[in-house]
Amino acid sequence: MKVILQVITLLVIFLIPFASWQPVSAEEQTEKVEQKEEFDYKSAEFKGVASQFKCTCGCGQDHYECDPSTCNLTTEWKADFVEMMNKGMDKDEIRKYYVDIYGEEILTAPEKKGFSLTAWVTPFVVLAGAGSGVFFVIRRWVRRKNDNDTPTLMDENLTTDETENEILQSMIDEERKKFF
Amino acid sequence: MYLVGNLSIYIGLAISIFSLLIFIIGIYKQDQRFINSGKGGVLAAFICTAVASAILLYLLATEQFQFQYVHDYTSSELPLIYKLTAFWAGNSGSLLLWSLFLSMYTVMVVFSKKMKGNPMVPYIASIMLTNVIFFFFILGFVAKPFVLLDEVPIEGKGLNPMLQNPGMILHPVTLYLGYVGLAVPFAFAMAALILRNMDDFWIKMTRRWTILAWMFLSLGNILGGQWAYVELGWGGYWAWDPVENASFMPWLTATAFLHSVMIQERKNMLKVWNVSLIITSYALTLFGTFLVRSGVLTSVHAFADSNLGLYFLIFMAFAVLGGLYVLMSRYNLIKRDAGQFHSFLSKESSFLINNLLLVGAAFAVFWGTIFPLVSEAVRGTKVTVGIPYFNAVQSPILLSMLFVMAVCPLIAWQRSSAKNLRKNFLYPSIFAIIAMVLMVVIGVRKTWAVIGYGVIAFLLITHYLEFYRGVKARRKMTKENIPVALWRLMVRNRRRYGGYLVHLGIAFIAMGIIGSQNYDLETMKTVKLGESIEIKDYKIIYEKLDQRKEGINDIIYADLRIFQNGKPLGVMEPEKVFYGNWEQPSSEPAIVNSWKEDLYLVLSAWENDGRATFIVKINPMMNWLWLGSIILVIGTLFAVWSGKYGNITPRYSGSKREVS
Repeated sequence: MKVILQVITLLVIFLIPFASWQPVSAEEQTEKVEQKEEFDYKSAEFKGVASQFKCTCGCGQDHYECDPSTCNLTTEWKADFVEMMNKGMDKDEIRKYYVDIYGEEILTAPEKKGFSLTAWVTPFVVLAGAGSGVFFVIRRWVRRKNDNDTPTLMDENLTTDETENEILQSMIDEERKKFF
Repeated sequence: MYLVGNLSIYIGLAISIFSLLIFIIGIYKQDQRFINSGKGGVLAAFICTAVASAILLYLLATEQFQFQYVHDYTSSELPLIYKLTAFWAGNSGSLLLWSLFLSMYTVMVVFSKKMKGNPMVPYIASIMLTNVIFFFFILGFVAKPFVLLDEVPIEGKGLNPMLQNPGMILHPVTLYLGYVGLAVPFAFAMAALILRNMDDFWIKMTRRWTILAWMFLSLGNILGGQWAYVELGWGGYWAWDPVENASFMPWLTATAFLHSVMIQERKNMLKVWNVSLIITSYALTLFGTFLVRSGVLTSVHAFADSNLGLYFLIFMAFAVLGGLYVLMSRYNLIKRDAGQFHSFLSKESSFLINNLLLVGAAFAVFWGTIFPLVSEAVRGTKVTVGIPYFNAVQSPILLSMLFVMAVCPLIAWQRSSAKNLRKNFLYPSIFAIIAMVLMVVIGVRKTWAVIGYGVIAFLLITHYLEFYRGVKARRKMTKENIPVALWRLMVRNRRRYGGYLVHLGIAFIAMGIIGSQNYDLETMKTVKLGESIEIKDYKIIYEKLDQRKEGINDIIYADLRIFQNGKPLGVMEPEKVFYGNWEQPSSEPAIVNSWKEDLYLVLSAWENDGRATFIVKINPMMNWLWLGSIILVIGTLFAVWSGKYGNITPRYSGSKREVS
């Protein structure tokens, strides 16, 4: 019972930062902003569009992050995005428009089609393959153990009182050091 | 100075080659005199790098602009501390620093008391010397630190302003200490294999080296992130840049290694895997250096383009192929001791899953990093693989990793029974679900954030229970009071509880990452003097735009009065700095910190009529990220601190030789 109370206390402490945080998502914030003004370069909708394209000024950032005060290039891009968004084009249409002109190189991430799809799926395919490998290896090792012997009472004791065993061992070591 | 500097490098190279040869002859002839001579050579090589480093520092501090390196990276108005840290601002200086650490580590291993009389020493020294020779060769013939200019310039070009930040004093040093530190377990592993020592002596002897190298790698990455956050005015801390990836990959594989060695120590298994992991980790440090120095991939961190990358690529291939050859030649001996698992539900299995996810994450980073090259080779199109890709691919893998980290401590070695699982996981699962529900009620509604914070709550509870049970068990036997029992429990099991502290540090870091990635807000506004910007519950009044001069730099700054829910928080001053000796200006953000969130203010642009454009960001929970980083370092140091109850030096029981 005592431990449950302690865990509840821990949980409450954990939740305190969230309670005072009152997270507002970017979308909600954008709604508030857009009620007052037409447009904000840092709005969630604009972010969705502009962060798809990398800035070629050498800053290594996308057009959402790139600061227009130090990059003339991004100023024009940003203005074009706004114009297209005002025309009613969505982020996919805008992406397609630029990819048709500049190629896939202009994007900040590979497309999820054609050869570029391999960029996205390979890590998970490899992970799944390796995971299957690990499963079969463990199964083989477990079978080998089961073939050799059966669990003993000692095994069970080892698993249930592992912490106590370790503490006991450390205390024995401590006592031994006192005398030798 | 020119002569002494260059001579120290060429003599160092000659001595290193001599030492390597003399070690090989000593091993071949089994003659201790040769080995002792080689050991003297190791010390002399270190003295050479120390002399070269001291000379470079002296030249930098005393503005000797006739030296190209000093001219390229310093200027007379630069504060002394940054003149000295310009040591690692360029190619040759940073490689000299690498050589200094490498030769220092070689001396520490060769003259270690614990390794006295150990036949592995000549082998370890030879492997580390091969590395030292490579770096001396680079310093002597490719990236020379002591090159004189034809004319003596009056002034230097100055240090990149971005590097003039306290974070940049420590970030490269810690990263190099981490990179170079991984050379030690690599050398031990190779030496053990060559000597056909199939026990875990090398692992136990290098445990502290590996953990410290891991800590420095962690610290290097964290300090780099912290520098980016406060210096670049971008509001982020990790951009998945190829060079950042290059330092993250060995961190992931070294983390996997630190866990999997526990299985070898306990069960005498996974020997091939552990050697492979250390070869991979070491090779990845070279791969990172190859990326930084070659310019094959676009990176904001890259040094000036040079042909250095090619040398590193060749050396990396040499190290990997050499390592694999040694491993394969001993493969039959290693696999002979294949062990057994008691059950699927055991700590051993969870460590294997941990390894799978960590190495899988490292592979995903590697694949994303090299994909532009793969795509170019296959289709002729060099695509960019940036933040959206890495965030999407890494999030599920690293979140699964957090979950395994939460589960692992409470699973018993050998076999966990259903009763054991119920006892250990019932309450943490219930409370984690309650935490997720409460978070949704509070307003955390994004799926990834809810799952992520739920897993973190689960992790915190499982780790708390681990401490709780340990204290309870100890008190049952000793009747100590709680603080005493907790302290003694921890100091007598440093590795275990230090590891748990590291886990807690990672949990806090994850809290910061999830918060700042999912709930950041941003706005960009142009306002007149006296007008305000509102974001969330903040009101920011633009009061003043002015300029001042600091040395040769002009600084434009704005005074912003901050209110949160009507409560004044003071005046902040974001700046734009125009450097006297650097073309690009930089933005110095002003940051209002709290445990809840950071208010991040950037002065972007201004007009003659006083109007100014500001970028205002709210980054939630950033302080938790930094707190977690500190806990991670404390936990690591706690785990390796020897103290009164430190680990006893493992007993060598491997092959005997007449030389040591």
